[in-house]
Amino acid sequence: MKPTIEPSPAPHREIKPKRGYWGRLGTDIWKEWDLYLLLVPGILFILLFKYTPMYGITIAFKDFNIFTGFADSPWVGWKHFEKLFTSPDFAQVFKNTVIISFLKIVILFPLPIMIALMLNELRNMVFKRTVQTVIYLPHFLSWVIVGGLFIDLLSTNGGIVNKLLVSLGMEQIAFFLDNSVFRGVLITSAGWKETGWSTIVYLAAFTMIDPMLYEAAKIDGAGRWKQLWHITLPGIAPIIVLMFILRLGNVLEAGTEQILVMYNPVVYQVSDVIGTYVYRQGLGNQDYSFSTAVGLFEAVISFTLVIIGNSMSRKYLQRGIW
Amino acid sequence: MDHKKALEGTNTTRGVIQTSFSEKCFSVFNYAFFIVMGLTTLLPFMNLIAKSLSSEGAVISGQVGLLPVGVQFETYKYVLQDSMFLNSLKVSIFLTVVGTACSLFLTTLTAYPLSKYRLRGRKGLLLIFVFTMLFSGGLIPTYLLMQNLNLVNTFPVLFLPAMVNVYNMLIIKNYFEGLPDELEESAKLDGAGNIRILVSVIVPLSLPVMATIGLFFAVAFWNDYFAAMIYITDPAIKPMQLYLKELLVSSSGDFLKDNVDAAINATPQSIQASSILLATIPILLVYPFLQKYFVKGVLVGSVKG
Repeated sequence: MKPTIEPSPAPHREIKPKRGYWGRLGTDIWKEWDLYLLLVPGILFILLFKYTPMYGITIAFKDFNIFTGFADSPWVGWKHFEKLFTSPDFAQVFKNTVIISFLKIVILFPLPIMIALMLNELRNMVFKRTVQTVIYLPHFLSWVIVGGLFIDLLSTNGGIVNKLLVSLGMEQIAFFLDNSVFRGVLITSAGWKETGWSTIVYLAAFTMIDPMLYEAAKIDGAGRWKQLWHITLPGIAPIIVLMFILRLGNVLEAGTEQILVMYNPVVYQVSDVIGTYVYRQGLGNQDYSFSTAVGLFEAVISFTLVIIGNSMSRKYLQRGIW
Repeated sequence: MDHKKALEGTNTTRGVIQTSFSEKCFSVFNYAFFIVMGLTTLLPFMNLIAKSLSSEGAVISGQVGLLPVGVQFETYKYVLQDSMFLNSLKVSIFLTVVGTACSLFLTTLTAYPLSKYRLRGRKGLLLIFVFTMLFSGGLIPTYLLMQNLNLVNTFPVLFLPAMVNVYNMLIIKNYFEGLPDELEESAKLDGAGNIRILVSVIVPLSLPVMATIGLFFAVAFWNDYFAAMIYITDPAIKPMQLYLKELLVSSSGDFLKDNVDAAINATPQSIQASSILLATIPILLVYPFLQKYFVKGVLVGSVKG
């Protein structure tokens, strides 16, 4: 049986009297019950583990109490959101989230593009492979490991970086206890972990550029620089824009898993972000309703950003994420 | 001066030479840059290895750079005999194996029908799955659900919620869609049902994508500490990443000093270093496969997704 495109029914169905969608669905299930059966576990899992929590969001509009339960907790409307928008704590958390995210985007978004361009210029393939193998590695390590590595490197107690500073005649820096440098630590470690790996998308994009363009440019006397500026960069521009849109959708996710490993009360002031705040307020202080409201605030903004980004990408680049 | 002038030259006659000179400069810079970048990636590990092997005195006084000072192996002996560490290692291995197997099974099961264009309601079903990638109930409602299901502080909570990964499912689905229809048709003529076709025709032909997604899951389970941190307090089912995280957080305090037998010649720093390294080894062992299949997976995902 050839796969049929959905709106046009297969010929044999047209012989029978017209039936509704559900009737045809019934016939299909009857005929291929095993195909539909395969879907059941997946759907059950997703309903239980993804959609039930979405229903659970309702507690953001209630005064949820673990003893009275979901159904009996009283509705309180926008109370928790009013608290959120007036709370100085949340204002700071929101500010931290945006600043850390912004710094990560400004510094860490262009970096892989530059490095991919530079990798592309390496002519010694063995060297290139070796470099790739090495710089991809940190991506596969957990934030616990990477956090541990940086705590160790930057420690004031025999950390190699501080040793270097001292030998250069500078003062030691308590990187993990200093509000003026801690965000720098977050951005550097995130860059260390993911920059190499992020080059892959761009390296793949290079291979899709028509080699004829380079041949033609060479004949016209364009050197490497000109080829880079006039062929390679324009060639990967759509991918860059697409990655940027994807990145913007994540702007309120400033790196919760990273920060949870690396921060401590001394630097909460500059590093407490929405994700970590929800974690501490919700699970630490058991302020379930309020932290659900905070989470919902983040989820709604992220969702909106992704939808806007995707429709813009579809409009201007003729390709979206879906 | 003459040399510089010659290089500047007139653009029309000297253009070619000029670019090739600057290209050479760039090339040198480029190789140097990547050597530095590679070292920046590797040196922290060297330092960690050195620390894990150095004597207490050397570590405390900060003498350890890239090579161990006053070599000792007691730290490793201590860590490898530590029942907490060993138990968390066991939990992590078990979690990775069970979690990956179950997830791969369920994800494949779900991906197959969704790869069939004749499936009625396919678009709607896909939307139901994809929507969960864009919007989620969030941490607290999910936690409360697990509490209601009595899953908090149980082993299954570490992998059950992660079993349907929509991103991975879409990659497998795309791969299935790329397989020729004739395979299915000829199996149907032989009287095979859909499940039989999936098991004995489709899956054997999809081993590369299965390997890729299997590794995606395995690395995710091995590296995850967040689920464990939220749901697990029972030390018997703490995976290694959570154990390490607690070790990191507490190593500045007195946790380790109390626990480490005062007689051994090792510092909390060395113990921390050796634990981190031991947790990294499994990743390094499978790294050649990881690199190969992950790159493939990312490419499939970025081209189709």
